[in-house]
Amino acid sequence: MRCGEFHTSYAADMAIFDTRRGRHALAVFLVALFTVPFFATSYWLDVLNRAAIAVIAAMGLNILTGFTGQISLGNAAFLAVGAYATAFLAGHGVPFLVACPLSGLIAAIAGMVFGIPSLRLKGLYLAMATLAAHFIVEFTAVHWESVTGGVAGISIPSPSIGPLHFGDDRRLFFLIVPAAIAHLWFAKNLFRTRVGKAFVAIRDQDISAEVMGVTVFRHKLLSFAVSSFYVGVAGSLLAYQARIISPENFPLALAIDYLGMIIIGGLGSVLGSVLGAVFLTLLPEFLRILTGALSGSYPQLIQLFTPLKLGVFGLTIVLFLVFEPDGLADLWRRTRNWFRLYPFSY
Amino acid sequence: MHLILIAALLAQEIKVGGIFDLTGITSDVGKSFAQGVRDGVSWTNDNGGINGKKIKLVDVDYGYKIPEAVAAYKRMTGDDHVIMINGWGTGDTEGLKAQVNADKVPYISASFSGHLTDPTKTPYNFFVAPSYSDQLRAWLSWVKDDWKDKSRAPKVAFFYGDNAYGKSPIEAGRRFCKENGIELTDEEIVPGAFQDATSQLLNMKQKGADYAYINVTTTGVSTIIRDARKLGLATKFGSNPYGFGEALPAVAKDVAEGVTGVMPDVPWGENVPGMKKLEEFHKKNHPGDAHDTIYVRGWTYVLVWSEALKRADKSGQLTGDGVKAALETLKDFDLGGLAQPVTYTPTDHRPATRTAIYMVKGGKLVKQAEYDMPRKPEWLGL
Repeated sequence: MRCGEFHTSYAADMAIFDTRRGRHALAVFLVALFTVPFFATSYWLDVLNRAAIAVIAAMGLNILTGFTGQISLGNAAFLAVGAYATAFLAGHGVPFLVACPLSGLIAAIAGMVFGIPSLRLKGLYLAMATLAAHFIVEFTAVHWESVTGGVAGISIPSPSIGPLHFGDDRRLFFLIVPAAIAHLWFAKNLFRTRVGKAFVAIRDQDISAEVMGVTVFRHKLLSFAVSSFYVGVAGSLLAYQARIISPENFPLALAIDYLGMIIIGGLGSVLGSVLGAVFLTLLPEFLRILTGALSGSYPQLIQLFTPLKLGVFGLTIVLFLVFEPDGLADLWRRTRNWFRLYPFSY
Repeated sequence: MHLILIAALLAQEIKVGGIFDLTGITSDVGKSFAQGVRDGVSWTNDNGGINGKKIKLVDVDYGYKIPEAVAAYKRMTGDDHVIMINGWGTGDTEGLKAQVNADKVPYISASFSGHLTDPTKTPYNFFVAPSYSDQLRAWLSWVKDDWKDKSRAPKVAFFYGDNAYGKSPIEAGRRFCKENGIELTDEEIVPGAFQDATSQLLNMKQKGADYAYINVTTTGVSTIIRDARKLGLATKFGSNPYGFGEALPAVAKDVAEGVTGVMPDVPWGENVPGMKKLEEFHKKNHPGDAHDTIYVRGWTYVLVWSEALKRADKSGQLTGDGVKAALETLKDFDLGGLAQPVTYTPTDHRPATRTAIYMVKGGKLVKQAEYDMPRKPEWLGL
C-alpha cells in the first residue's frame, strides 16, 4: 500500500512519469485515441481535430504566459500569420512537410518582432503592445488581397505527404494528433532543460533571474519565438483543416479564448494546456447538443445558442479563477493522488 | 426487426440542411428569411411532402461567420447526410464553393452573387432571383430613365460593406456605368456593422453624387439615409433586396420617403395567386406575426428546391447529382407571381433576369418600373 512518493535521486525527481503505472496508462490512452477515427463520425473527427489544433496553440501560449510570465493578446495574430503563410506556400505548391514547419518559423519571426517591447514592458503594458500586433496583422490580412485574399478568404489545397493524401478529417486526424503529441513531448522536455528553467525563473522574479545569470531579454525573445512557433504550426494545421481561411477565422475573441483555455486548464502546466483546450473546444458542442435537444419543445432556443456560449464561457472562467485557480490540471492531480494514496495519504 | 422498421421510417424522410443568420450582422433580414424557409417546409410537408416523403430541415444559426458556416457544413454533410443545403451569406457560400463541388452537394443560398451563376466554375451553386449584378444594372437603368437633365450624365456613388456580400456586384456596376454613360463619381466602404456614416457621406457630398446605391442590409441603409437627411443631402438613394423592403419605412420612418429598391420578390400580402397559400398558413399558424418580402423570398426558395426534390425523387435520383440535374430541368418554373419564373440550364445558372424597382411613397412600397437584363454571355459569372 502506497502512502506517498519518495525520490532517492535527482533523476527520479526529474522523471516525467512518477510511476510505471502512469506510463502504462498513457500508452493505453494513446492506443485508444488512435482507434477513434475508425468509429467516430466525420463531424466528431472535425471537432477532435480542432481540439488537437487548439492544444498546440494553447501549449504555445502557455509556454509564453504560463511558464515565462509574459502576457500576450497577440496569439490570434500569430495563428493568422501561420495560417496565411501556409495558404501562400501551399498555394505555390510547397508540400506539407516543408510548408507546415516553415509557417511555424515565419510565425516565430513575427512573434520575436512583436516580442521586442517585452524588454521594456510588463503586465498590462505588454498586453497592450501585443494587442497592437493583433490589429496590425488583421489589417494586413484584410487589405493585402494579393496574398491573403482579403475579406473573401483564400482556399488551401489538402495536404499530402508523398503519395498519401489527407483530404478529409479522418485522414487529417493522423496528421494533426501526432503533431500535437510531438509538440507536447517537446514542451514537456523543454522545461527539464536550462532554457526552460530560465523561462520559469523569469516568470517568478526577473531581477533574481538576471542576478543568477539568465539573460532576461534573450530568453524572453526566445520564449516569444518558441511560443509563436507553436501557435504558427497550429495556424498552419488550421488552414489545412478548414480549407478556407478569412480574417474572420482570427478574431480578438479567439485570443481571449486561448487565454481562457490556459487559465481553465492550468497556467504553467503541459497537461493543463491539453485539458483546457479540449474542454473549451468541446464546451460549445455540448451546449449545442443540449440546446438542440431542448429546441424541440422550445424552438426559440436556437437563437439563444450564440449568446449562451459566450455567457457560459465567461461564467466558467470566473468560477475557475475563484474556486480552482490552478485549473483542471491541479484538479486532476489531486483526484489522482487521492485515489492512489487512499486511504493513507499524508 | 426494429432496425428494419427504423430504416424504413428514415427512408421516408429527406434531410435538407439550413444555414441561417439569426444573431449576426445580417440577422435584421436573416431571421425573416429563415422563418420563410421553415414555414415553406412545414407547408410542403402538410401538403403531400416530396411525393409522400417528409422534408426534415436540419438548421443552424451561424452568426454570419465564415468559420461557423464551414463547421456547420461539415456537420451537415458528414453527420446528418443532408441531400442539399439552403444557405445564406455571400462570404460563406463563395468560401464553401470548392468543397460543395468536391462533395456534390447542391447549395442553394440566399446570396445572389453573380459569381455563382457560371456552372463551369460553380456547378452546384444556385439561388432564386436575378443576381446582385443584374439587380444593380437594373437600378442603374432606372437611374438613366429617371435622370431628366440631358446636359450632363448622372453622377452615381456606391456604398458597400467591407465583405464579400458588399463587394459582389461592384465590378459589374463599374463596367455598366462606363458602358452606359453614367458617371461613377465615388465609392464609399462601410464596416460590417456601423452606427454612423457621416464621414463617408461628407466625402460623397464633395463628389456631388446625384444618386447612390447602398449595398448593405436594412439597418445599415437606414443609418446611411438618416445621416444623409441630417447633412441635408439631395442625393437619391437606392438599395438591393436585403437593404430594401417593408422593414425600411418601418425602421427609418419618413426618412425612407423616395428611397428606391430592387425587389425580386413581391411585398408581403401582394395580390398575386401564389400569395394565397402563404396567407392561409400565416392565419392558421401565427396570425400575430408580421411578415415582409424577405419572408416571401424564403418561401420561394422552398418552392423551387422542393420541386427539384420531387423531380429527382420521381426519376429515382435522390442524390446530390440528381437534385442538381433536376434543378437544371426547371424551365420558366412558375412561382405564382411571388417572384419571376425560374430557369436553370446546365450552362447558365442565372435563374431570372427581370426585376422590379420599388419606391417608398407615403410609407408604402410602390412599384416604379421593371427591367429585364439581357443574358449576355460575358456577364455570366460576373
